[in-house]
Amino acid sequence: MSKDHQAHLSLPANKVPEGRLGMWILIAGELVIFGGLIASYLEFRIRYPQWGEMAAHTSTLIGAINTVVLLCSSYTIVKAHEAAQRLDIHKVMIWMSCTVMGGLIFLVDKSIEYYHEISEGFTFTSPKLQMAGDHVGSLFWSYYYIMTGLHGTHVLVGMTVMIIIMFQIRKGQNLHRVELAGMYWHMVDLIWIFLFPLLYIAK
Amino acid sequence: MDAISHKQSFWTKYIFSTDHKVIGMQYAIMGIIMAGVGGFLAYIFRYNLAFPGAYIPLFGHLSAMQYNAFVTCHGMIMVFWVGMPVLLSSLGNLLIPLMIGTDDMAFPTVNMLSFWIFFVSALVLLSSFFVPGGAFGGGWTMYPPFSAGGYVNKNPAFFKELFSGTSLMILAVALELVAMLMGGINFLVTTINKRAKGMTPFKIPIVVWFINIASVIFMFSVGPLVAGAFMLLFDNVLGTGFYDPARGGDPMLWEHLFWFFGHPEVYVLLLPALGVLAEVFPVFSRKPLFAYKPIVYLALVSAILSVLVWAHHQFVAGIDPRMATFFSIGTILISIPFAGIFLSFMATLWGGSIRFTVPMMWALGFIGLFLIGGLTGLYLGSNAFDIYAHDTYFVVTHFHYTLFPDIFFGFFAAVYFWFPKFTGKTLNSALGKLHFWCTFFFFNGTWFVLFFNGLAGQHRRINDYSDFSLIMKEPYMSFEKFATVCAILLILSQFIFLYNLFTSLAKAKTSVRNPWQSNTLEWLAESPPPHGNFETYPEVYRGPYDYSVPGSTEDFLPQNVPVAHGEAEAIANVQNGITTSTNTI
Amino acid sequence: MNIFPENVSTYGQELDNLFWLITVFVMIAFVVSLFVLIYPLIKYRKKPSIKAEYITGERKKHFKWVVIALALLLASDFVIMYCEHDAWDQIESVPAKADVRVGIIARQWNWIFVYPGPDGILNTSDDVIVDELNSSLHVPINKNIVFELRSQDVIHSFFLANARFKQDVLPGRTVVRWFNLTKEGKYDISCTQICGILHSKMRNFVIAESDDKYKHYIDSLYTANGHKTTSAK
Repeated sequence: MSKDHQAHLSLPANKVPEGRLGMWILIAGELVIFGGLIASYLEFRIRYPQWGEMAAHTSTLIGAINTVVLLCSSYTIVKAHEAAQRLDIHKVMIWMSCTVMGGLIFLVDKSIEYYHEISEGFTFTSPKLQMAGDHVGSLFWSYYYIMTGLHGTHVLVGMTVMIIIMFQIRKGQNLHRVELAGMYWHMVDLIWIFLFPLLYIAK
Repeated sequence: MDAISHKQSFWTKYIFSTDHKVIGMQYAIMGIIMAGVGGFLAYIFRYNLAFPGAYIPLFGHLSAMQYNAFVTCHGMIMVFWVGMPVLLSSLGNLLIPLMIGTDDMAFPTVNMLSFWIFFVSALVLLSSFFVPGGAFGGGWTMYPPFSAGGYVNKNPAFFKELFSGTSLMILAVALELVAMLMGGINFLVTTINKRAKGMTPFKIPIVVWFINIASVIFMFSVGPLVAGAFMLLFDNVLGTGFYDPARGGDPMLWEHLFWFFGHPEVYVLLLPALGVLAEVFPVFSRKPLFAYKPIVYLALVSAILSVLVWAHHQFVAGIDPRMATFFSIGTILISIPFAGIFLSFMATLWGGSIRFTVPMMWALGFIGLFLIGGLTGLYLGSNAFDIYAHDTYFVVTHFHYTLFPDIFFGFFAAVYFWFPKFTGKTLNSALGKLHFWCTFFFFNGTWFVLFFNGLAGQHRRINDYSDFSLIMKEPYMSFEKFATVCAILLILSQFIFLYNLFTSLAKAKTSVRNPWQSNTLEWLAESPPPHGNFETYPEVYRGPYDYSVPGSTEDFLPQNVPVAHGEAEAIANVQNGITTSTNTI
Repeated sequence: MNIFPENVSTYGQELDNLFWLITVFVMIAFVVSLFVLIYPLIKYRKKPSIKAEYITGERKKHFKWVVIALALLLASDFVIMYCEHDAWDQIESVPAKADVRVGIIARQWNWIFVYPGPDGILNTSDDVIVDELNSSLHVPINKNIVFELRSQDVIHSFFLANARFKQDVLPGRTVVRWFNLTKEGKYDISCTQICGILHSKMRNFVIAESDDKYKHYIDSLYTANGHKTTSAK
């Protein structure tokens, strides 16, 4: 909406900035999606104590590293937002790059982890487990991959959007979007903080 | 987007427009087209039910597999590709910015994208008819294991399964849900942020309130289904076992994920149409909407309750009987807030000066029919009686007596009401009344008799009843034929509307701004409103339902009319019974 | 014309009574609502020079009518909830005394019946399985028939309209239910959860018969399957 239009309109009845409001609503919707997944997983986790043994095969070390990486990248995007508020484009680019790097490290770690798990025979359908008769165990891995996969997709999407925003910021445009990217990134981080104990620690 | 100097090519003006009015029309047109598809499917299988095995004109012979696919797709299409776009997306887009006195939605580009994603979702759904195996035929509820390929093939061929009718239906629904989510974000942010100056929350028209409440319900309840749909898709194309009991999965999980959304969804569909009623009744009674604030609170209560009753669809599914009691109580009690809303609408009529315009007739017909639908819900909410009635035609009749008035009567009330605003032309009212009466009579003719078939034990989703002695007798066989004949006439009656629509659009503009003498802000704009909507953006001084205000010369006071000196006093005198409200001018 | 098919089960009558109770409330609500809807259309039609009244519904004098109506609705809701409770408990919980136990298995697209065999215990090696299209489940009248419902493949649903009984059958779980039929006859079983292309053809029967006829059937069934008869019992 152009500034002329803004002048025609009187002040909005409520002054919450629109982008932020939209992002909150998007985040709420995403949390319900993951909430549904997590609730389903929890139901089965309680039903099948043997899943605890399967969870032992996830790498707690890599999971912990990823948790730290994401938390750090949430910190860096906050710094980027602060820089954006000061209109310090140079710093914004640096801090956002760090955040994107954090996402990249997360995904690389994840890939390494997936590689190990797959080579041990723990795949989305885990045919080896099924042939050995451990059907319930194979279901654990289905949940593992769908939850971490969906989360990883969100990380990838977040990184992509951030890179696009960085191109705009280079030209001095849309600095307000740094905050929105930050909010999204915090959501991704928050979801991971739930996934980590459920899939990696609780044995 | 600057209304003054913004140049629009054909593509940006009509196809990839970000103008909420164009997008609203696009949703309405798509909804009407898909209603044609859904109606045609219904014609085919209803013909088969009346005349089993017969050659169906315009189609041919119907196989069992096609029958299953058609009843499934009829339901899917009517809910997701007719109900949602015409009631939520179309009305939300057309009405919200105008009724709150602003220029467009908060995120016009996202809005435009939402329509095109919706469009693609419809194409994906329709394509499922033409792939090997045809469209999915396991009910719109898509219960696994049947919807997961029955787990016969545990090592599915990825691409073959990806383009199967089942997977395409799941993908189509997923895309449609994404489109609706994007729309919902727009509605909420726009309503919260872009209201005209002076439009405090309790000066917002009810239809805007209700569309927003519906959006919140939708967004809160759809998440688990999205997760569940991913799992179902992976069961189909990758051979996972999320719903496979042999692998520790559970078909009941899908039922819960589906109905956790599926039940609130019917209120997502209902609320916008109730909002239309809330706008139509005051205008054509020349009276304020009865109990405006309580109506808002009742709707909020209903919204909260709506996410607590879903398992009434699963009373006989094998859930814990104690859990079923909890859901039965909630289901029976949810009748109360909705009854409160309906009673308030009806109370608006008492003491009014009623005009029987076409939109008013649709609104009145809505209430009469929905009454039957809602009351039959009481039978089904009772867990014990549902043991008998579940999956019989009693249920089918119940939801047609609710959904059909909701979607069709609600939409037509809106169309006949707002057509002059959005086109600057008028629909022929004689044809409109004929359309109404035909629809009303033929709808009842189709469905009333089928209550009795349901109570006789006729189960649903059956293409051939020849083995069932309870049904293969009179009067039930005749009822089937009668219902089919009425259904065909019901479908044909809609051509009256299409004829009216096209001939009216072909006429010259009359461009009357406020033909119904209504208070809400959209009537201030030109007919049709230009890009940007208002020449000067209005400021709001009063609520939307100030009709026949004591001491005022006109019997309506648009929202942008400042409160006159002495008005509050005149109103207070009437409210306190010091003077009577009529004849005080 | 009877609205319902003939009821032959012990708990069926209570279900039918519940229906009529709800119908009383529904009819009252319907008639009153139609009056509230239609009467004003006649009395308050637009008349020249008569203005509408300015009623916002905020005054107690007006709003109390809505409150009264809702209170009456709430009261009838409570009556319904109270009355349904008994019928629900009866149907959903298996009686302590089970006279006959059978297994009912759903499969695309037929109902399979499992009799316990001479040892009288289900799920043992001497069970007799009747797996023929459109076969019948034989049960004695006036006895508690307890059955275990299972599915071999997809979700099906066992519906015996004349008993007012229905139960979905999910693969991976066993649901135990019961009925007690009071009249001899042959009653349709239908499948009430869409299960594929021959869902419409999934029609079997329950044959309720006197003790003698039932014993005769069981004897010939067991003999045909290589068991000794049960005449000693």
